[in-house]
Amino acid sequence: MEQENHKIKAVSLLRSRICDPKFIFISESPESNYSKLKFMISSSVTEACNNSILLLGPRGSGKNAVLELVIQDLLQEYPDSVSVIRLNGLLHSDDISAFKEIARQLCMEHQLLFSKAASFDDNSQFMVAILKECGLAHKTVIFVLDEFHLFAQGKQRLLYSLLDAMQSITSQAVVLGISCRLDADQLLEKRVRSRFSHRKLLFLPPSIEDSQKLLMHILTLPIDSSFPHAYAVEFNRKVQNIIEDRRFKETLNKYLNVDSSVKHLLRFLFCAVSHMDLQTGFLSRENFEIAFTSIQRQPKLECLRNCSILELQILVCMKRLEVKEQSLCNFNSVMKEYISTLTSERYARHVCLRAFEHLIHRELICFTDNRGQSLSVEFRPVKLLISSAELHQGLRANTSCPPKLLKLMDREG
Amino acid sequence: MDEDKTQQLPRRMTRSSASSSPSTSNNIVAAKVTSLEPLTINDLLVGGDPISLDDIISSFPGRSSQILEVVRHLGPLNSPMLPLFVYGSSSTGKTSIILQLFRHLNRPIVFSSCRTCYNQNILFESILNQLLLHRKNAANGYLNAKRCERPSDFVNFLREALTNVISNLKEKSEKLISNEMTQGKIGNMIYLVFDNFQLVREWDKSSTILPLLFNLYDLLNTPEVGLIFISSTSPDTFYSNMGYVEPIPIYFPDYTEEDIRQILLRNQVNQKLYSSFLDVSLKSFCGITKQIDDLSAALKPLYEKYCEPLSDKGKGVAPNQEMKRRLLAHINPHIASSLNEIFKVSSLSSTEVETRKEEKWKGNLRRLEQSKELVSLDFHISTSAKYLLISAFLASRNPATLDASLFDSKGGSDNRKRKRKPSEKAQERKETLEQELLMKGPGTFPLERLLAIFQCLVSVAEEPSDEEEQNNDGLGVEGGNGGLMSDILLQLSSLCNSNFIFKGRSCPIEGSTRYRSTISEDLALKVARSLEFPLSKYLYRS
Repeated sequence: MEQENHKIKAVSLLRSRICDPKFIFISESPESNYSKLKFMISSSVTEACNNSILLLGPRGSGKNAVLELVIQDLLQEYPDSVSVIRLNGLLHSDDISAFKEIARQLCMEHQLLFSKAASFDDNSQFMVAILKECGLAHKTVIFVLDEFHLFAQGKQRLLYSLLDAMQSITSQAVVLGISCRLDADQLLEKRVRSRFSHRKLLFLPPSIEDSQKLLMHILTLPIDSSFPHAYAVEFNRKVQNIIEDRRFKETLNKYLNVDSSVKHLLRFLFCAVSHMDLQTGFLSRENFEIAFTSIQRQPKLECLRNCSILELQILVCMKRLEVKEQSLCNFNSVMKEYISTLTSERYARHVCLRAFEHLIHRELICFTDNRGQSLSVEFRPVKLLISSAELHQGLRANTSCPPKLLKLMDREG
Repeated sequence: MDEDKTQQLPRRMTRSSASSSPSTSNNIVAAKVTSLEPLTINDLLVGGDPISLDDIISSFPGRSSQILEVVRHLGPLNSPMLPLFVYGSSSTGKTSIILQLFRHLNRPIVFSSCRTCYNQNILFESILNQLLLHRKNAANGYLNAKRCERPSDFVNFLREALTNVISNLKEKSEKLISNEMTQGKIGNMIYLVFDNFQLVREWDKSSTILPLLFNLYDLLNTPEVGLIFISSTSPDTFYSNMGYVEPIPIYFPDYTEEDIRQILLRNQVNQKLYSSFLDVSLKSFCGITKQIDDLSAALKPLYEKYCEPLSDKGKGVAPNQEMKRRLLAHINPHIASSLNEIFKVSSLSSTEVETRKEEKWKGNLRRLEQSKELVSLDFHISTSAKYLLISAFLASRNPATLDASLFDSKGGSDNRKRKRKPSEKAQERKETLEQELLMKGPGTFPLERLLAIFQCLVSVAEEPSDEEEQNNDGLGVEGGNGGLMSDILLQLSSLCNSNFIFKGRSCPIEGSTRYRSTISEDLALKVARSLEFPLSKYLYRS
């Protein structure tokens, strides 16, 4: 029992690290975004001025995680001078929800009673008043606007009111926009853009060397009393060997070539750690190979492998119609092709129609019109959502595909 | 603790999990729980008797690798996890396996189906009701625990509810640790399960609710919360131009033919007999579909037919080679017809099906022999409505330019006058028109055209009797036009409501409504035959 416990504990520890952004994105380098961001916000706090910053980068590159680390540090350094208001474009992109949420969080920060019945005007005036009072008290309010581009939809009243309130002499506020769109500031209206200082921080994916350092940071166990010493040393030695292995590097490069963001890498590590052998208690290169194949999915090929023979026949008929440069087809024209092409083992029309509907449900084909009610299924125009190469591959991968169908497909290809 | 366990009901019963777990069904019968007891944290467990991992693997043939995959990703007790996306076709065991695994692991879940929770508000309220241990009853006026229409309210309530549940779980864990009980551990994690997740794509606000649910992991930022999405379509069908964090995919492939055989053999009284039946039938049916539900429904009547020559209807006898040959000869004529019956949904109730078993098979044979025989209409409409239906069909199928020649006073085109040799150009035009009809389907027509054709057909039908003609003239003089018009319009409205005729939107330029006939040519022929109306004379064919 005691032996089994530390192996399970190792898996739990690694999984906890992978799921914890604070553990991943720590970096003390003066060139890092962490240091730059901390310097900018600290200056605003100490110099009692306003600021607005955009954090831009692809999804999964650590924008939110780094910001949370900076805010955490600032709250420790200036406990009485900083308060944080967090908004998210997925939740608060309409102005009513946004101002209500600002009022709610301001009331929580300053131990005030929040009234759910307050109107839009009450909430917006309340925000302006609080900003003024905070300015007089030399307190900085940090507004975090996650999914910033979603706030730029509509009339942008929140952004305008917020940035306009910051124009007053007494207020001290920092507005931080986080977005995955590089053109986030271009979405702003003129009156809003003129009030926004155009400071941007770009978050880029890590280099290969940084990724390797990150792997060691995440996957090695601490050499302290929490784990048996011999086990931890052996575990870390094996991890080192895996990371330096040539085949592992090939797999990792193949994986990161698709998407080199940190979150994408974390998914890979999570799968590998989850597959760790609890008998030996050590990671192996096979765990990472399994993780690679289980994450890299080919959904259309999987669908084709699952199709019945009749469904494959319908797909081949549609491909033949496509090769004949017939731009649109529907169930009737597919049936016409089906009857003329397949001389034996033909099924009834309603059976084919049901198989046709199965293909629509599998999303191997789709309707091209948007009106859903006017025509019955057999007259609605459809198109293939798979390429010739995918269909070829799918026919070969399907174990029950008859050879006649393959020949038919080869002739067309 | 034991009393608490026996009182637990399995609260989440899907159809397949009920059939795959007979012991669970017994629990329902045996349990004596008053519905008015307040809910506790234990009601977030799946419930039922403890089940081992080996039992789950043996209950789901062909699914052992997927089961182990899910277990590994769920991880040890109290271990955080990234969101999972479990996907595969219908009837591949996704929901059943997830529920049975949480029963095995004894961890709390909040299960919501996006089919029963068919919009954003209902989904939010279902999740919060479960987390807040709220049951709607007469005492609270059948209200939800929280009313939230906006996503922001939902996330605030959700954070609050999750914080409370997690602290309750931690208190429970600490008590268990102090008591040194290891069997009753349920851990500190709470898992949100979204079933039938592909349906969210069709919701009104899917462009905002989908990114919200996929980003719920980051929004909550709580390591004690695990998210599991179950979908019958693959991740690439959840396309979004803004992107979101991708959950980890776990794929449930369709069953192989061997898996299907094992699943169908389960619960059969005579294993060997059913196995020999599958030998002759399964491969043919798998060529059409591999969905267990369809196959099970299609093979059941065929198996009863297969067992007919046996004296005991296949209950005890193990088939020998001679018997197999005899049974094969008996069933072979019926396999082909069953293949083409595979997706037909019978409108008869189950008792009627039993009594008409012999009749049905005879009917099938007769249908095969006389495949061209037209069956009479299955429904009744008035004579006037029938003429209206035929008029709509002709208006949809025939070009409008032919109305003058087809619907003159003589009644229909005379075939003798149109004996021309088709030229090459005419032949080409015929093929083009046929192709166009195949592609576009029935055309649209204005109301005036429909009424004109209708009047023409009715007047032709009324020609033979001179006495009737005189009477009609008399009625017409007395104001029959008004009556005819209003009655026909009402019948047209009824036909539109019955989906025999589709009423399109008004054209802003012309200012008139256009109609389209939705009936097939077979149905039109049936209607015409019931009226003894020569439909083929009026159909345009060059």
